[in-house]
Amino acid sequence: MMRTLRWIVFAVAAIAMNFPVIVTLITSFKSAREISSNAGLWINAPTLSNYLSVLTDTTRFNIWLYLFNSTMAALIGTLLAMALTFPAAYAIARSETGRRVLFPMVVNLRAVPLIIFAIPLYMMYQWLGLLDTRVGLGLILTIVNIPLALVIFVNAIADVPVELDEAAKVDGASTLATLRRVIWPVVRPAMLTSFIFGFITAWNEFLFGLMLTTSKAVPMTVGASFFFAASGGGVNWGTASAVMIIGALPPAVIGLMMYKQIFGSMTAGAVKG
Amino acid sequence: MQLVNRGEGRLFLSPLVIFLLLFLGFPAIVNLVYSISTVTFETLRAPELSGYGNYLDVLSDRYFWQASWFSLRFGIITALAECLIGLFLAIFLNPLLGKRPYLMAPLMLPLMVAPAMVGLMYRLVLHEFAGPVPYYLWMWFGDSPAFLDADNAFRTLVVIETLQWTPFAFLLFHTAYSAIPSDVREAAALDGARGWTLLTKIELPLIKPTLIIAFFIRFIDGFRVFDNIYALTGAGAGGSTTSLSIYIYQAFFKQGAIGKAVAASVVLFIASLVVLYALTALGSRRKEKTR
Repeated sequence: MMRTLRWIVFAVAAIAMNFPVIVTLITSFKSAREISSNAGLWINAPTLSNYLSVLTDTTRFNIWLYLFNSTMAALIGTLLAMALTFPAAYAIARSETGRRVLFPMVVNLRAVPLIIFAIPLYMMYQWLGLLDTRVGLGLILTIVNIPLALVIFVNAIADVPVELDEAAKVDGASTLATLRRVIWPVVRPAMLTSFIFGFITAWNEFLFGLMLTTSKAVPMTVGASFFFAASGGGVNWGTASAVMIIGALPPAVIGLMMYKQIFGSMTAGAVKG
Repeated sequence: MQLVNRGEGRLFLSPLVIFLLLFLGFPAIVNLVYSISTVTFETLRAPELSGYGNYLDVLSDRYFWQASWFSLRFGIITALAECLIGLFLAIFLNPLLGKRPYLMAPLMLPLMVAPAMVGLMYRLVLHEFAGPVPYYLWMWFGDSPAFLDADNAFRTLVVIETLQWTPFAFLLFHTAYSAIPSDVREAAALDGARGWTLLTKIELPLIKPTLIIAFFIRFIDGFRVFDNIYALTGAGAGGSTTSLSIYIYQAFFKQGAIGKAVAASVVLFIASLVVLYALTALGSRRKEKTR
């Protein structure tokens, strides 16, 4: 009895939380005619035509460009954040330097509304010619990713026994060599976590994509909204749904494949941060 | 043994520090300067200092307070709802999930989808002709509310935000609840504590730190909400869905009121520092207590 009730609650929660995705997925397989006659949750004649037209009609849709932009900007934003925070995390975990001021400041960045920095960054980008570039967007996504990457690395390095470093030092390894030869291999799982997490976060970012790009470097989240900009006629819900599914797919697939890794770090990052 | 000496430590920190100074420190200074200047898009490079007029403009703007009120209410209500539902799910579904970890996947999926995408998807879900929700409401009840008009938009957005982010609170609570050592439960059971008593007297106090942290994280994220609202309503509905983030965005990009937007940013920055300070103070008090 109680068991059945638990299953029912689980099913209701899972469906309610994923409802927009479910609806969009179903709609993406409907023909335009069916959408206008049947807005319900079943399909009479499923079709792939929406996906085909979105992916192949490159004169009308720029989806490949958006996908490419999102991938490149997210890669820059993730890898750069990791490169910047990894040595810093070592210093923070293994010495007093940076622990008192820098670490809490960076961690708290997560709680600061980034819109605060958006306007001066926009002006800065205008001066530097970085508006509407993938590199420019990637640099901002780095900022978004830095707090969590730092927390993950500091936690991971703090979990490595100090004796390992000491042994390397005794054998005459420099700090940099210790970092590369001893710490790096041990914290590799944390690297993967940081990468997955950063990539998803960066891919899903919207505000800076909206502000700092206009055409060449538009990421998927912003590009998807272009499909709703009804010019004259109404929205083509079939193609718009296909676009939304394609845009939501990469982070969802990566996230679901790696959910065990993410699971631990998400809670660790949140609780310890 | 000195593993990292001072010089090396600084060297290791320097790339991060330089990057932060460039991308956050510099903008912060620009914000401060512009907020006390008269500036238009034409005079960007030569702002003319003019005192605190921008701040007066912002603080006397009815829409600024409307947006602040929206953000505050939205943050508190959604954080509360997410934590309550998340806590319920974490505890009620624990016997189910403990043995079947794969059941976590559908409950985590919403966290992987971009809030902006979710906002767009709800345009479809709630659309009066193409969306299933109005479709079924019409079919079953012969009527469907206008989910996104000025009266209903707030409630609709609260539900959407809650549905997407309850998994986050749930995840934290699930981890904390599962991490309660079994001997604690056994000891409590020996003393005759079970069911409701066990929950309220033993288990909830044990995961209280996580409850507080989850609430604050969700409050902060709700307070600064932008993506899903912007994607769903375009901040329309007569300004009834304008959060502070959207207010700043619009002041700058739609009205070109640079001074006002920048002054609002500084006000928001100070407000978030106050919240952070309170949070940290709360955290350190908790640590002292447990010592």
